[in-house]
Amino acid sequence: MSSGGFLQRIGRSEAANGLTMISPTAIYAILLLAAPLVTVFVYSFMADGPAGSLIADFSFANYVKIWTGKIYRAIMLRSLWVSMAVTAVTVILAYPVAYFVSFNVPPNKKALWLFLITIPFWTSYLIRVFLWKVILGYNGVINSGLLSLGIIDEPLTSLNYNVQAFVITLAHAYAPFAILPIYVALEKIDRSLLEAGQDLGESRLMTFWRVTLPLSMPGVIAAILIVFIPTIGDYVTPDLIGGGKLPMIANMIQVEMLKQNHKAMGSAIAVSAMLIVAGVTLIFLLLNRRFLKGQK
Amino acid sequence: MTVSDKPTMIEFRDVQKYYGDYHALRGINATIKAGEFFSLLGPSGCGKTTLLRTIAGFEDISSGAVLIDGKDAAQIPPNKRPTNMVFQSYAIFPHLTVEQNVGFGLRRENLSKDEMGRRVGEALEMVGLKGFGKRAAHALSGGQRQRVALARALILKPKVLLLDEPLSALDKKLRENMQVELIKLQRQVGITFILVTHDQEEALVMSDRIAVMFEGQIAQLDDPETLYRRPKSRQVADFIGTMNFLPATAHPTSDGGFDVDVAGLGQCHIPADQAPGAATGNGVNVGFRPETLTILYEGQQPTDRETPGTVEEVVYYGDMTYYDVKLDGVAEPVRLSMRNVPGRPVLDIGTRTRVAWSPSALVLFR
Repeated sequence: MSSGGFLQRIGRSEAANGLTMISPTAIYAILLLAAPLVTVFVYSFMADGPAGSLIADFSFANYVKIWTGKIYRAIMLRSLWVSMAVTAVTVILAYPVAYFVSFNVPPNKKALWLFLITIPFWTSYLIRVFLWKVILGYNGVINSGLLSLGIIDEPLTSLNYNVQAFVITLAHAYAPFAILPIYVALEKIDRSLLEAGQDLGESRLMTFWRVTLPLSMPGVIAAILIVFIPTIGDYVTPDLIGGGKLPMIANMIQVEMLKQNHKAMGSAIAVSAMLIVAGVTLIFLLLNRRFLKGQK
Repeated sequence: MTVSDKPTMIEFRDVQKYYGDYHALRGINATIKAGEFFSLLGPSGCGKTTLLRTIAGFEDISSGAVLIDGKDAAQIPPNKRPTNMVFQSYAIFPHLTVEQNVGFGLRRENLSKDEMGRRVGEALEMVGLKGFGKRAAHALSGGQRQRVALARALILKPKVLLLDEPLSALDKKLRENMQVELIKLQRQVGITFILVTHDQEEALVMSDRIAVMFEGQIAQLDDPETLYRRPKSRQVADFIGTMNFLPATAHPTSDGGFDVDVAGLGQCHIPADQAPGAATGNGVNVGFRPETLTILYEGQQPTDRETPGTVEEVVYYGDMTYYDVKLDGVAEPVRLSMRNVPGRPVLDIGTRTRVAWSPSALVLFR
């Protein structure tokens, strides 16, 4: 058996074909995702020197500082709290929309509805957040409207520069991401199962509770993850809506990395944030497995 | 006690159903007795499933009335009706186990855990699935799913069990076994079974009475034997089994019957009960089943009449042989079937033969 024949055989094998096809993407991913990630991971164990230099003094010192420091902890908890609140609000608002489109919209109109739901994506995320600032701000649309109507005497402060404003902004931004997976899960439910639920003596509400909701849980969990993961790392909304007064993890990383020039500390915060996301994701994936257990 | 003595369980009074412009049910009138095994038989799109779903409450009717056990069903939502359904797809809840599926409808009865387990166990045993309770629903075969669907419906002790083509997804052997099991089960529980099927054989095997439906109307409602032997129209005759048709002329006689002259067979008298369509004049048809004709072998004499012909086609089925025989003086061949018994050789194509027949097996159609 000549080596030429061997190479030819490998070249023709399915595995080689597959590797050839994914290689551009793979190279791209390794260079732009894996390599920086490894760099950040390595940095996080180093120490910050003067003027942005790094000292190769490997320890857990940065992590200890982050997980015990009051300010860091407060910011991480705020991030977690905000993203959980956003996720809850988004998914709870998205479910009825998805349900309506799946169950009440006639089949020939569904594509149109889904298209309409994606309209917010036509504008950039940054502009949408900025528009919410215009609406919710101290001199914003709502306050000036209420002032000119004489309903309030001075601008409301409960709408701006606080966590509620974050939740409103982010819930709007991520609503389509939550609606679509829930819609897909609802579409997959065999309608005769709902008739069976009623046939077996349950009201529509109880049939929803015992049949529709459990069967749509995979979609709900997908929605939760899709909303939770990006919101916990959101940078724009705390910066614009919060006016920099209520920083979240991403803002903290930016401050450490760019303003303080503490690359090691910034990296350690980034890795910590990733750990939090990974932890939460794992919990939901396990939950999802439970719901998927009985289904194919 | 025969079925006809029993009280009425379901009554349809001029039931009409429109889907937009489409007239799906065109004036259904029928009564179904308590304890009866009743079938709705017809080709797809004839409205049989729609009619079944009006009983379950999944379809509103446009006019008329459906009465369940004497009560107008219009006011009763599906979950309050004394009916349970076995769906065509079985509709087994995929997120629940077999016993959770079977016990689904018992939640509202607030049973103790032991009582619940006992009832579910009984129901599973009744359908031959003892010991399957802990299985996941998706780990079941088609036949097992069907049994779960049956147990889940029967555990609630409904007055009427509705079956929407429950056997159509099963293979032939399993289907035939389940037919027998369903008949036994119906006798055991003694409640009304209403079966929707497009399979005429299934309907004949299982039913006390059959309603044959075409285009939203009941064409004939009778017991299986009457339906098979005395179909009221060519359409019904054609749908149920095989029937030969020969052109004929008919003249009414004083006893209510007809003197007919059938192409190829000759003249004979047909009594009134063999002419449900009451047709006279030219261009009427006479129908007869393949098994009512007999090939006469060398030296055999007919019990009634005989007519000569030529074998055109032979189809051998093992226990039976089907022949297409061209009777002298008729353009279209007729089909007849002969049981293959010893001493009765299978004939070759082209053989001249004599065919025995009897006027008592003929049915007159318009």
